[in-house]
Amino acid sequence: MATISARRRRRLNAWALNALTYTVLLVMLAPILWLVASSLQTRGQLASGAYDLLHPTFKAFSQMWASVDFGRYFLNSLIICTGAALLATAFASTAGYALARLRFRGDGTFSVAVVGTQIVPGSMFLLPVFLGFIWLKQNTPVHLFDTHIGMILVYTAFFTPVAIWFMRYFFMQIPPELEEAAMVDGCTRFGAFWRIVLPSARAGLTATFVYAFLMAWDELLFVTALTEHRAETIPIGIRNFIGNYSGDYSQLMAAGVVSTIPVMVAFFATQKWLVKGLTAGAVKG
Amino acid sequence: MGPIHRSPPRGPATDAAMSTQTTPSTVPDSSPAPATPAPAGATKRPRRAGRRSRSLAYWLIAPAALFMLLVHIVPSAAGVLLSFKNLNTFTFSQLFGAPWNGFENYRSILFDSANPLHSGFTNAARNTFIYTVATVAGTLGGGLAIALLLNREFPGRRTVRTLMLAPYVVPSFVVAVLWGFMWQSDNGIVNKVLVDYTGILSDRPTWLAGHNSLVAIIIPSIWRGIPLAMLIFLAGLQAVPTEIHEAAAIDGAGAWRRFRYITLPLLRPLIAVQLLFGVIYSTYQFAIPYIMLGSNPGPDADLVMTLIVRQSFTNNLFGFGAAASTLLMIIMFVWVAIWYRAFRRDLEPA
Repeated sequence: MATISARRRRRLNAWALNALTYTVLLVMLAPILWLVASSLQTRGQLASGAYDLLHPTFKAFSQMWASVDFGRYFLNSLIICTGAALLATAFASTAGYALARLRFRGDGTFSVAVVGTQIVPGSMFLLPVFLGFIWLKQNTPVHLFDTHIGMILVYTAFFTPVAIWFMRYFFMQIPPELEEAAMVDGCTRFGAFWRIVLPSARAGLTATFVYAFLMAWDELLFVTALTEHRAETIPIGIRNFIGNYSGDYSQLMAAGVVSTIPVMVAFFATQKWLVKGLTAGAVKG
Repeated sequence: MGPIHRSPPRGPATDAAMSTQTTPSTVPDSSPAPATPAPAGATKRPRRAGRRSRSLAYWLIAPAALFMLLVHIVPSAAGVLLSFKNLNTFTFSQLFGAPWNGFENYRSILFDSANPLHSGFTNAARNTFIYTVATVAGTLGGGLAIALLLNREFPGRRTVRTLMLAPYVVPSFVVAVLWGFMWQSDNGIVNKVLVDYTGILSDRPTWLAGHNSLVAIIIPSIWRGIPLAMLIFLAGLQAVPTEIHEAAAIDGAGAWRRFRYITLPLLRPLIAVQLLFGVIYSTYQFAIPYIMLGSNPGPDADLVMTLIVRQSFTNNLFGFGAAASTLLMIIMFVWVAIWYRAFRRDLEPA
């Protein structure tokens, strides 16, 4: 009798924990569901709270697109984040390989510098970068202030350090015999890296690219200070929208949905490898 | 994200062992940097190869190093210099040539109680401290709790684990807009749930101004941070061998004791790394208060970052901004030092 009741209690326990798990998931997802639901209602429905989920409307999306020229911000974000993520991944792939496989004088210093960049507050280098951009604009033909290229260069620098840790981890997962065999066959070390290691690190490269893209997509501090009009990205568009149409939440929610979709898709498409990169630093470190 | 201490960049001893195992005689001299120092009588060839691969290493890190130098290191040094200058609206046209100001910026921030910048900074520092402690504690606690829930067998485990990551992928500025909408006093869903549907509260709190506004930025921050913490803890929990738990259970250890004496000690390194980066990341939070509450989030929710940006770019007090940033950087270095002392032992590879 005692054992049966113990087993029953355990089953009840598991059942309760399962119910708790699904409830927690629902609570975590509720704000996102609310974002989507609200974007599919009219302004009036949001104000009154009388949501009609069975009759969604895309009106807010078209209004939002027209009222703040959202397409321009979206395109700027795409250009800047893609450019920066590509460059950061490229730089990180070579530097990450050096850290994963080669010994060189100053490797410890370089590793510390890579982590150190994450400790310094952004505003510490934001002000001088801003003044430097203004100085360049006034004194030279080099225009970095409020340009795509300026933002790409800054973001490349920002997200390279984290990308280096990602790539270093992914390279360490590749058996070294692969390139050693290639070098025996007469490949140089760089040739082995270029022709053998890099292609087999494709998944890692993709994950690193997506992660850098995600971080750049999210960046607000620098784009606030370093752009004025031409190179403004989505978060600035959203801020300007709040300034001009603060009451219209249906359009804001629509803007929120549109700016979340690209990163959601990129994240879940590459999730398997991205998760490895994200946890590797903490677990292996 | 990432280990701070690992200077030897070559993989663990295993890859050296593996390479000698599989290619014992075929690669006598081109094998990359032997894990053990070459004996004194080594021939010249391997050493030359070593030098060549060393110069290759410098070419490989050069682009990253150059960018870090130009955007992180040189500007940070310039920022420290700037903190000793009087760069404001009147001297802005001189840029880096603005007049020197000695320690005046620091004095006004730290000691000049008549200066609004002093009260503004101390206030923002206090808010940032509360924000950081609450956000990091909430994120790690929530992440660990959910990781424990998901580290069981249950129907739909894979799907639930994947879906649980979604909040992490919502951009911060969308998080701010969304929660700003949810916190609305009259129409917001939070008050609807708390007051109209459940009656937990009898009157509608104002979330976006006054005392509650700090809570209004803390909770969304925790919500967005939990998935990453959960992911890291889950990875750690999966590495805990189930046999230990089973053996302890047979010995009569209850669930709490098993968690306290088996799971938690094994998770310590993960907690350490997340504490380090969580504190840094939260202290530098900018987007959520800035988008949700505006460029001036008000005395109850102004964080150091929003203060620095506002004073620098709205009021052109660049000297102040640089000095406040330098102070913040010093505080962070102190934090890293404290953290290192506290967790040094957890970081040594087992």
